[in-house]
Amino acid sequence: MTIKGHHKEWPPSDPKIVKDELFSSTIKGSSTLKLISKILGLLSILGLVGLIGKFLIDGGDQTQWGYVAATLAFIFSVTGGAPLVAIAPFIAKANWARPISRMAHVIGASAIVVNIIIMIPLLWVLPPLVVEGARRRSIWFEAPVYSPHFWDTLSLIMLAIAGLGLLYVSALPDFAIMRDNSQGFRKKIGNFLAGGFVGSTVQWSTLRMRVGVMSTLYFFIYIFVHVVISIDFSLSMVPGWRDAIYPMAHAMGGIQGGVALVIILAWIMRKYGKYENYLNINVFWALGRLMFATSLMWIYFFYSAFIVFWYGKSMSDNAWLDLLIRGPMVYVFILGMLFSFIFPWWWLIWNKVRNSINGPVIGAFIALTGVFFERIRVYVPAWSVDPKLIHDKWLTVIPETLYPDIWDILLILGSISFVVLTVIFISRIIPFIGVWEVQQFNLLAKPIKYIKAHGIRVAKPD
Amino acid sequence: MQQRDNQNRLSQKYTNSVLLNGTLSTPRWWYPLVSVLLFFVVIGFILFGIQIKYGLGVTGLNRPVYWGLYITTFVFWVGISHAGIMISAILRITQAEWRRPVTRAAEILTIFSLATALVFPLIHAGRTWRIVYWLIPYDAARGIWPNIRSPLFMDPIAISTYLTGSTLFLFVALIPDLAVLRDRTTGFRKGFYTILALGWTGNPRQWKMQVVGGILLSALMLPIFVSVHSIVSWDFAVTTAVEGWHSTIFAPYFVIGAVHSGVSAVVTMMALMRWGWGWNDFIRPEHFDALARLLTVVATAWLGFTFLELLFAVYGLDAPEIALREMQIFQYPWNMLFLIFLLTGYILPVPMWLFKRVRTNIALMFWSSILVNIGMWLERFLIIVPGLARKSPFVFTWEAYTPSWFEWYILFWSFCWVTLLMLLFSRVFPLVPLFEQKESEVFSDSIKIGRATVPTIFREEEEEEED
Repeated sequence: MTIKGHHKEWPPSDPKIVKDELFSSTIKGSSTLKLISKILGLLSILGLVGLIGKFLIDGGDQTQWGYVAATLAFIFSVTGGAPLVAIAPFIAKANWARPISRMAHVIGASAIVVNIIIMIPLLWVLPPLVVEGARRRSIWFEAPVYSPHFWDTLSLIMLAIAGLGLLYVSALPDFAIMRDNSQGFRKKIGNFLAGGFVGSTVQWSTLRMRVGVMSTLYFFIYIFVHVVISIDFSLSMVPGWRDAIYPMAHAMGGIQGGVALVIILAWIMRKYGKYENYLNINVFWALGRLMFATSLMWIYFFYSAFIVFWYGKSMSDNAWLDLLIRGPMVYVFILGMLFSFIFPWWWLIWNKVRNSINGPVIGAFIALTGVFFERIRVYVPAWSVDPKLIHDKWLTVIPETLYPDIWDILLILGSISFVVLTVIFISRIIPFIGVWEVQQFNLLAKPIKYIKAHGIRVAKPD
Repeated sequence: MQQRDNQNRLSQKYTNSVLLNGTLSTPRWWYPLVSVLLFFVVIGFILFGIQIKYGLGVTGLNRPVYWGLYITTFVFWVGISHAGIMISAILRITQAEWRRPVTRAAEILTIFSLATALVFPLIHAGRTWRIVYWLIPYDAARGIWPNIRSPLFMDPIAISTYLTGSTLFLFVALIPDLAVLRDRTTGFRKGFYTILALGWTGNPRQWKMQVVGGILLSALMLPIFVSVHSIVSWDFAVTTAVEGWHSTIFAPYFVIGAVHSGVSAVVTMMALMRWGWGWNDFIRPEHFDALARLLTVVATAWLGFTFLELLFAVYGLDAPEIALREMQIFQYPWNMLFLIFLLTGYILPVPMWLFKRVRTNIALMFWSSILVNIGMWLERFLIIVPGLARKSPFVFTWEAYTPSWFEWYILFWSFCWVTLLMLLFSRVFPLVPLFEQKESEVFSDSIKIGRATVPTIFREEEEEEED
């Protein structure tokens, strides 16, 4: 009798094999990868051209910047949401996430440059708090007039630092392995980054504490960034839009996209990096469930707002519906609803789909597209609102549908390409599956046969 | 006295004898306590009768505050009811091992608090039978509410569905324990348990069906669990006429608040169960520790929602809304209530729970969980009443609402009533699931990793076998 179960693919128990296999991804590279990198590099340059072109042509017209703001919101939220996929299981001591936690941290640090570059012109066109001699509605109330500009930039920088810090802290033992097992340039980098890590008991306990502190810090900054950017870069630009759940719905969309990115990267690493033993079906099954849960959470937050506006029927409630649901972006709304909720929900509700390698990744692509549509649905109409109406009690003139111009398209393609290129660049330095994480995983989890059942014995240290 | 077998596990015989000590025998304190509670409950029923005779004049409800302490208490008990599904269903799906001794108590708390919550709209109606006119037949033409899609109509439907589902959920989880009771009783009780045990013998197929049933019901109950308090929140949020109510955050804010108060109520109950029945081997400090960790996360999320709710209240710069918030936070007596709400809901208990010594101290956990529920009751009061009490342009009379002693007693009655029901339940059914406890003992082990001894758990997985 042979057993067809989840345990045919399991990380090797020999630490040396684990180390060699996982570090090989930082060294080996195919000609296809080089070609892809070149194409991505070219697209990134075109993206920069798009941003400069946009600034030169539409620099004075705020209403034309919706797609740029939507791109920033999409990129910072989905890449920023990825580390939470590692943080939540870390707090819950869930072992399954150990092979993907490094990837989640890497994604979190991959968009720092893009975010800052896109933010700069947006700050230029974002209106100050005092417009035509009067203060507009904002969460900054009586604060200095450029508070949104300052605090939003600072919050993005804080998120970047926290993301980098989390990646660095959690990769320390692997830098030490790099220092001790390589030559030349890599040895120097490892020596510099490992910071004297030799794996003493104190260093390990400190490492765990540091990862815990950085994870908590990162989570709170992530929520703060979503609160300030979602409000300053969309909600407060629409007169009368008062929506307390919106920042949380925005963050939830980011987390949904973050889970999707981790699934996609894990799938690529499994298929093209030949890491079937590490990124086995257990990982995809758990990620598939997470993807399903975040899709449900997204619709719940959306509906919580929708029902209140739809039922309230006040002038400002109707204006919200006219602008963001049945107005200029009605088709994007339908696409967003299909891709953010209906398709992933119907796809991932089936256990056979979740409990497979390809099922979750298809759901992830769909959901990621949905998050992109959702950002366009909100940011483009919000920026399209006539700035002269900013002091009105509610929106009386619904803007026309704004289509992306060539500069917008270049920027969208270029910025996404640059994020992917950054991920490829990081993959040349740090293994995408943490060596020490896998070795701890092997210590704590083991497939065993128990009476007639097959399963895993999981150790849970305090 | 703890009895462990040669593998250092609690023996099944010991588990049966200790966990059935409240069902097969009667603790000494049980009759006096039940008698006292019964006395207070009967007085509550008499007062309710008086209110039916004389109408709502016996309460402090008057123009413009028509929703007061009764509706606050209704929302509070609906919130407490979220304990069961949070603990039982979510933790079952996520395979949290520490849930095992807690599940039954949480599920019972859900059922009794929901049943109590359902009573409050009836009490609030004053002339209770008038509810029939409002609901059956409920047509849009009456113009009382905009249409039958009103949350006020959806409320009883959602709560009844939740109550039915929770009862079924509890019953499915009770079956193996009912069979244990059937095999250990005689006479009428044996007949009673035989009927309820549905022929349970514990064969592999029955166990499989029981597990699958539990997981399916857990998955089905989750959307209902979320919808119930969301719908209750929409009673307020869809209203544009009352300042402070028309907020999009209310649904998740109410749900997370309900989880905060419900899980705290479970902590209170677990401490009482440990003290009352002496189940020290089964309800252990590590269970309080796990619940306190969960509560810390939930409470912090709840605080975030509270902050957003307040932020967006003043964001719109509407003068009436700002005036309401000023009244709520800075004017006496609301400011005192607000301060107590913040202190008891978060500021006092959560920093305490950051320390493991507190998390594993049963008495401190008991008192901190009580604090949370004081805060959460006040939260509902502060959401509902100030918006109605504040002077507004089209109301010709306004004044602060002071609940009468009648209303305070009915609030007190509700606690006595839920406690009484729990105690009566404990005489018939075990409050800690025996089979969960035994399964936990079988699945738990420990291994040596380096110099440390680490607890382990076995997780069974789906797999296909082929010959």
